[in-house]
Amino acid sequence: MSEFIQQIINGLSVGAMYALIAIGYTLVYGVLRFINFAHSDVFMVGSFVGFYSGKVLGGTSWAGGLGVMAASMVGCALLGILIERLAYKPLRSRSKLTVLITAIGVSMLLQNVGQLVFGTNPQPFPDTLPATTFQVGGVVVSSKDLVVLGFTLCLLGALEYIVLKTKVGTAMRAVAFNPQAASLMGINIDWIISFTFGLGSALAAAGGFLWAYKFPRIEPFMGVAPGLTAFVAAVLGGIGNITGAALGGLLLGVIETLVKGSRWSTWTEAIAFVLLILILLFKPAGLLGRVQAEKV
Amino acid sequence: MSPILEFDKVTIRFGGLTAVSAVSLAVGPTELAGLIGPNGAGKTTVFNLTTGVYQPTEGRISFAGEPSAGLRPYELTRGGIARTFQNIRLFKSLSVVDNVRAAMQVHRTQGIWNSLWRGGAFLRDEQVVEKQALELLSIFRLDVVRDEMATSLSYGDQRRLEIVRALATKPKLLLLDEPAAGMNPTEKLELARLIREIRDRFQIAVLLVEHDMQLVMDLCERIHVLDHGTKIAEGTPVEVRRNPKVIEAYLGEEHALPE
Amino acid sequence: MKHPGARRWFLVAAVLSLGLGWAQDRLDPYFVDILTRIGINVILAVSLNLINGHTGQFSLGHAGFMGVGAYTAAALTLFAGPKLLPAGAGFWVEQLWFLVALGAAGLVAALAGLLVGAPSLRLKGDYLAIVTLGFGQIIAVIFRNIESLGGALGLNGIPARTNLFWSFAAAALTVYVVTALVNSTYGRGFLATHDDEVAAEAMGMNTTRYKIVAFVTGAFFAGIAGGLSGHFTLTINPKGFDFNKSIEIVVMVIVGGMGRTVGVIIAAVLLTLLPEGLRMLSSASPSLKWIGETRPLLYAILLIALMMLRPQGLFTWKRKKGAVTA
Ligand SMILES: Nc1ncnc2c1ncn2[C@@H]1O[C@H](COP(=O)(O)OP(=O)(O)OP(=O)(O)O)[C@@H](O)[C@H]1O
Ligand SMILES: [Mg+2]
Repeated sequence: MSEFIQQIINGLSVGAMYALIAIGYTLVYGVLRFINFAHSDVFMVGSFVGFYSGKVLGGTSWAGGLGVMAASMVGCALLGILIERLAYKPLRSRSKLTVLITAIGVSMLLQNVGQLVFGTNPQPFPDTLPATTFQVGGVVVSSKDLVVLGFTLCLLGALEYIVLKTKVGTAMRAVAFNPQAASLMGINIDWIISFTFGLGSALAAAGGFLWAYKFPRIEPFMGVAPGLTAFVAAVLGGIGNITGAALGGLLLGVIETLVKGSRWSTWTEAIAFVLLILILLFKPAGLLGRVQAEKV
Repeated sequence: MSPILEFDKVTIRFGGLTAVSAVSLAVGPTELAGLIGPNGAGKTTVFNLTTGVYQPTEGRISFAGEPSAGLRPYELTRGGIARTFQNIRLFKSLSVVDNVRAAMQVHRTQGIWNSLWRGGAFLRDEQVVEKQALELLSIFRLDVVRDEMATSLSYGDQRRLEIVRALATKPKLLLLDEPAAGMNPTEKLELARLIREIRDRFQIAVLLVEHDMQLVMDLCERIHVLDHGTKIAEGTPVEVRRNPKVIEAYLGEEHALPE
Repeated sequence: MKHPGARRWFLVAAVLSLGLGWAQDRLDPYFVDILTRIGINVILAVSLNLINGHTGQFSLGHAGFMGVGAYTAAALTLFAGPKLLPAGAGFWVEQLWFLVALGAAGLVAALAGLLVGAPSLRLKGDYLAIVTLGFGQIIAVIFRNIESLGGALGLNGIPARTNLFWSFAAAALTVYVVTALVNSTYGRGFLATHDDEVAAEAMGMNTTRYKIVAFVTGAFFAGIAGGLSGHFTLTINPKGFDFNKSIEIVVMVIVGGMGRTVGVIIAAVLLTLLPEGLRMLSSASPSLKWIGETRPLLYAILLIALMMLRPQGLFTWKRKKGAVTA
């Protein structure tokens, strides 16, 4: 039983990080109706910024760790905005396929530039945040899991505030609902799209930093697998739906961790994919999504 | 005679917006009917409901006496509904004649093996289809541009090609969404004549959405009027023209009702 | 077969493949090696073009289907063959069994294509891209978990059956089938689906069916290419059919021009030669060594640049008028 609880906590913390990535997919999909393939590599860059700034800062402290995470988030927000402006914006009037292929190109570019700069071999991530383990009842809890969960909750709270309570957030929702109407109402669509990329990328960067904190070995291709799982989480929750993405992320994290701890552990990487096929078959709109009639 | 198309209190909502609200209407088997209303009244939405692109939130739609709920657009087309689009949607990587041939294969497709083997039957069939396609194109004198890419045609010709393509599916009901948009008065007259000719020759029902009132009044035998998703009037051109509700709905609109 | 073009194609293909098969042992092995890979890459690129180009559905898992074919064919020649065939079976029996293995490779890959495609092709949008990407990853997990197929190490000692004859005959068959389909009622269905799904459905076309036919046909030929590839490299493992391999094929299609078979064939030939050229360059002098290591980076830049500057591909010209005819 105690082992089970341990697994659940572990799964929730992995799932929290999936949620942080999944929200980026969902936000961008909401405003642009396109899957940003490069998002998983922005996640990777997030942990790399953490890696370098952690080395520069040195030491292990709460303030330092928070500073490193903030640096990752700011760096990746800028990166996300840059990618959108340089690569996607010029293609906005072109076919969706063109943008999709470009996104794949950007993803490969980030991975390979990462490889040139960093090398192929995984490297240990510096201990920027303090960590201990302690026992509650028979359950061994790593403080890392609690930190990941706590940070994620704070970030989700901040996101909720931005989306629901601020002017930009309202504008974002308007653009997602109906871009033409939004622009008629005087909303600067370009600015909102940039903001959306920045926001999504910052969350992915936080996810990347926390991921490296929990699994402290990083390499340029580390984004691929979590990125794919997080995308499935977004689809599972209902793509375009922020709460859905968070829920899907947590769910997938727990399921994956439970499978990993079972005797089917070698199949862990297949779980997300099998789930994706099942959702597409039985509930293509996702858990919280609604079927939307495309305007003809 | 029982109607070919029937709406029974049909409603559709998109989120909070009720685009079509409890609309009932019927179109006879060889009727030339009109559907008019100001911008955003829900006319195109009625077409999308009829062709299965949208499913109604409430109410029933029947085609040729059968309920059409749950059928996909291509199934309804095979059953005999064809349409044109308000925003032209031709196949841009196909030539003019191939746009029409593509639509004809509703009733004539080759199996995979025939397509691969390319025997006599396959070649003969392709020739038959091509001949029929050219015949249809000649109604609108588009056979001369048969090998042009569809999107290289003039705007008016693209609209005409959409009608030919719809006819190629051998419909019992033809839905035309603003076919005269962008045409000059002479072209409009010619179009009206052709629409009537098509109805007479193929003995089909036509439901026409059009903003040019002159054209609608001249051509249609029965007119249904929508405003803000609800049906506000129905009748012959003369009746509709005199209906105060219709006049009110159009008041302030640029389209004056011709007396 | 009444169609004159079709007959001519088969005649030329037969002469060419038989001629090359005969020349196999008389040519420089390095040259044979490159030619064989050209044949295999033409199969991969032309079959992916049917899905990504003509039908406008974006698959990122072509290498996965190739892997399915490679494992199927290898299992048949490596394990089943020795049990079923009489000991010391001669050359022709071996060749015939290889033909069976290739056919099975195609069929099993096509079945995998059906399982992956059916749920995702019903939906509009970019789902297929992600599902096929996932499939490419997952197929590796599956092979790693099947101990009888060598697990993570893969299979070694696959008999050398692929030669210039098989490689070119299969390539010719792929080009023929894709071209014949595209120039038939199916082709109009593929192109109409590619252009405008809503309009295609409104014209009575079951777009889901056209997408599935294109996808399954593409997977079939990818499977055959996999079978050929395994009996050419003589060793296969789960990693050989990953995302990078899929992207290589995608790049061929995009460089050649989506939906343009001739352009894609040219691209397949050139992009088979390009790495050889780069390899020669980078081994020519130590200061050029970096060239050999930056191939994926080059592909990434190529993709982005093409989408920005020439999304229709490098080897495309104006589509011939009325190109889709019987
Ligand atoms: N898929 C959809 N999602 C959301 N709203 C929709 C959708 N389809 C139609 N609408 C809305 O329904 C209303 C009716 O639209 P419709 O296109 O049917 O009008 P219309 O009568 O054809 O107008 P017009 O003369 O401008 O063509 C509009 O407000 C439109 O925005
Ligand atoms: Mg309309």
